[in-house]
Amino acid sequence: MTRPGDILLSVKEISLRFGGVRALTDVSFDIHEGEIFAIIGPNGAGKSSMLNCINGFYHPQEGTITFKGAERRQMRPHEAAAQGISRTFQNIALFKGMTTLENVMTGRMLKMRATLAEQALYFWRGRREEIEHREKVEEVIDFLEIQSIRKTPVGRLPYGLQKRVELARALAAEPELLLLDEPMAGMNVEEKEDMCRFVLSTNHELGTTIALIEHDMGVVMDLSDRVVVLDYGKKLAEGTPDEVRGNQDVIDAYLGVSHD
Amino acid sequence: METLYLIFIDPFVQMVVEPAFLVEVLIGGLTSGVMYSLVALGFVLIFKASGIFNFAQGIFVLFAALNFVGLMDLGVHPILAFVITIGIMTALAFVVDRLVLRPLVNQDPIILFMATIGIAFFLEGFGETLWGGDVRPVRVGIPDEALFWEAGFGEILVQSADLFAGVIAAFLVTTLALFFHFTPVGRALRAVADDHQAALSVGIPLNNIWVIVWAVAGFVALAAGIMWGAKLGVQFALSTIALKALPVLILGGFTSIPGAIIGGLIVGAGEKVFENYWGVPLLEGATEDWFAYIVAMIFLFFRPQGLFGEKIIERV
Repeated sequence: MTRPGDILLSVKEISLRFGGVRALTDVSFDIHEGEIFAIIGPNGAGKSSMLNCINGFYHPQEGTITFKGAERRQMRPHEAAAQGISRTFQNIALFKGMTTLENVMTGRMLKMRATLAEQALYFWRGRREEIEHREKVEEVIDFLEIQSIRKTPVGRLPYGLQKRVELARALAAEPELLLLDEPMAGMNVEEKEDMCRFVLSTNHELGTTIALIEHDMGVVMDLSDRVVVLDYGKKLAEGTPDEVRGNQDVIDAYLGVSHD
Repeated sequence: METLYLIFIDPFVQMVVEPAFLVEVLIGGLTSGVMYSLVALGFVLIFKASGIFNFAQGIFVLFAALNFVGLMDLGVHPILAFVITIGIMTALAFVVDRLVLRPLVNQDPIILFMATIGIAFFLEGFGETLWGGDVRPVRVGIPDEALFWEAGFGEILVQSADLFAGVIAAFLVTTLALFFHFTPVGRALRAVADDHQAALSVGIPLNNIWVIVWAVAGFVALAAGIMWGAKLGVQFALSTIALKALPVLILGGFTSIPGAIIGGLIVGAGEKVFENYWGVPLLEGATEDWFAYIVAMIFLFFRPQGLFGEKIIERV
């Protein structure tokens, strides 16, 4: 079912090259407010590159990205974060030496009003802010049911829980757009079910718009409102899960018809 | 038999017979150890935050001290000279970030390491161009007199400058450790050290953090430079002494602030004790120059990540 919200993020004719390699060619799609939007495609289709363009890790050579009505081409990752885009990574990028709590606290970094220098010099103001932000962080921790591992260094946690801590860190920033790069990769069935539940409740209860990359088709079809399919850096199809499932190009791409 | 006696029995007999001397040796060792810690701390800060082994840290100590002493010789008040030197070290951090680190971001650690060697040689030459190559005494009014302390087992002689340096270093070290652990900036610094990509994605601007870290390392270098300078005069040999921080780091672990502190103390006390009880009777002295390196090598065999290191060193 499509929920017709306003357009939150609009990607127009994005092309991204690394030297002679074309990672993305002329890709366009819109993500609407409040939906769960899936980006799917075979390996090497350019899905992660797309996410990296959206949050500013990569700068596409052509095309525009419009977020909340403001168009931009070159944006740095911390600027994207400041505008309300949070993300998780395919190969978990957590601060392994820190505890769960500290990791989630880093998600609040941008909400802290004091500048870095101020925090360093005015210990008191930093302290007060710290307490305010702790409350929000504890809410997120409750929401994702990771209370019991608050003080555990994340490097020691099992894989599935690390993914959840990463989600918690992203949520702590109270993002408007949450990018999830294969949130269920490498998980067992039980962990996947948990993660699905958290993704759905993030969307329903917090109203966060979510763009996710996922390989598990069952998960994608269940979770997402709309799907875009990439293959060799090009957009193959876009639509509801049912529409995409019936699309001949998509079937070919997945079953491996030769491209000629 | 005679040699064996000198190695295994005599030193310990001496320690028991003359405890006051042992205490003096230990105090001397710990006070120079705390300065090793201070230098090592500069290395750890930068390594933790950017994964770069900053070979230039030793020169930073010298360069900071040179500027400080140079300004004072021009008639600038010590406190003003201190503030200006902090300004210079911050500017240096900024320049290093813009001209060296940013263009090389995402390169192999070895390339960044080579770049810091370049910085080291540049600064050494530049410092000499600016201030000349003479040994300059530091007169900041640190009291330097012999204090006698009557302990139950004899009289102990301590240099007040040593104690002063020890206290300052201990204060700095504690402050930095607390800063790293309990403030948001400290957390940001640790976050950057842990994972650049993740740090960017939560909105920590890498570049600012690097400037901050290099500036803090510059500040630590200044403190170390003044302490060493007060003891030995500001001279170019300071940068060699600063390299003692290497065995300290191997002992303590490259990523650990407590490791740098304890490593420094162990090296400082260890080399003095070895020199006085084994070096002088058996080897005619001068063991202080190499003792720490031998200990570090033995450590590398058995515990390459150091006492408190997080993982096997991979970036050096």
